[in-house]
Amino acid sequence: MKLASAIVALVALLAGALWWVGQVAPESPIEVGNARVRLVPGGGPMAGYMEIRNHSDSVIRLVGAASPAFGNVMIHRTIVRDGRARMQHQSDGVPIVPGDSATFKPRDLHLMLMQPKGALEVGDQVEIVLRFEGIDPADWPVAFTVVPVTSQ
Amino acid sequence: MSRAVTRIRAAASIVVALLLAGCGDEGWHGKNITGLMPELEFTLTDENGKTVTEEVFTGRPVAMYFGFTHCPDICPTTLARLAAAARRLPDPMRADLQLAFVSVDPARDDPTQLASYTEAFSDRMIGLTGTQKQLQALTRRYRITYGYDEPDANGDYEVSHSSAIFVFDAQLEPRLMLLDSLEVPQMAEDLERLLTQP
Repeated sequence: MKLASAIVALVALLAGALWWVGQVAPESPIEVGNARVRLVPGGGPMAGYMEIRNHSDSVIRLVGAASPAFGNVMIHRTIVRDGRARMQHQSDGVPIVPGDSATFKPRDLHLMLMQPKGALEVGDQVEIVLRFEGIDPADWPVAFTVVPVTSQ
Repeated sequence: MSRAVTRIRAAASIVVALLLAGCGDEGWHGKNITGLMPELEFTLTDENGKTVTEEVFTGRPVAMYFGFTHCPDICPTTLARLAAAARRLPDPMRADLQLAFVSVDPARDDPTQLASYTEAFSDRMIGLTGTQKQLQALTRRYRITYGYDEPDANGDYEVSHSSAIFVFDAQLEPRLMLLDSLEVPQMAEDLERLLTQP
């Protein structure tokens, strides 16, 4: 009997806490998942991949990125046409409509991470600041995990 | 039969039809190029700085990809798939197949850079590059092109290149083109089938 009332009290407490959190903390307007940097040896550029979800009720646009670990970061898309591969700089950024997401993945959209400033190792975390239009604040620092070059 | 089951069967037959269509000619996932192009021939510099010809591959099949190391997305993706497909092959095929990465960007890819790059994918992958004349002689043989964009303010530039892997048999005859869109199991299946043939 004592146990039953303790459980009831605990459940009530948890429910109250959840309600309180729900009221106080607004949902983040964006969510960045599966953020990873694929390690390329030799000091050359690397690719950053992720999924950005727009939880806000307006269109947001990824317009740039910067990182203390790299000299320069650009938003690129790989285009394969007639058996020929090339990279296209996304100079207008990447728009994401409300409720939708943008997936940066191999052979598609990627962050081109140029001039690595130091040697990275698999498992390291690197910070990349994503810059958006359409949300406040504009800059979103995201921790990217360094993964092996052989990961897809 | 319930409507749901009928629908599932209809969907399944569409999937099978799509899969068959995707297999291309004669059941290969890649493109069969047997007899369409001349045998392998080149003079290039290997990742040890040594001048080599096609004779380094004689007697063993080779899978060759044309790219450059300042290519962070499609090159590592394709090379990693190729290396993974090669690892899936049964012995002695696995030990037999050689992998080659030809850089069409000799200005940035010196032998040292090539060596550290290829080592990341497979210890059986050799890096090759050469002068523009040598590279053009090889790429023209297989009707592929490459080109450079104007450098940006930092001196960085993009390179366009062929996206397919060329597979040559032990006699160095071109046999298959594996497109970059193929997944590891499809590449492995094609390689095993080709290497099983007499």
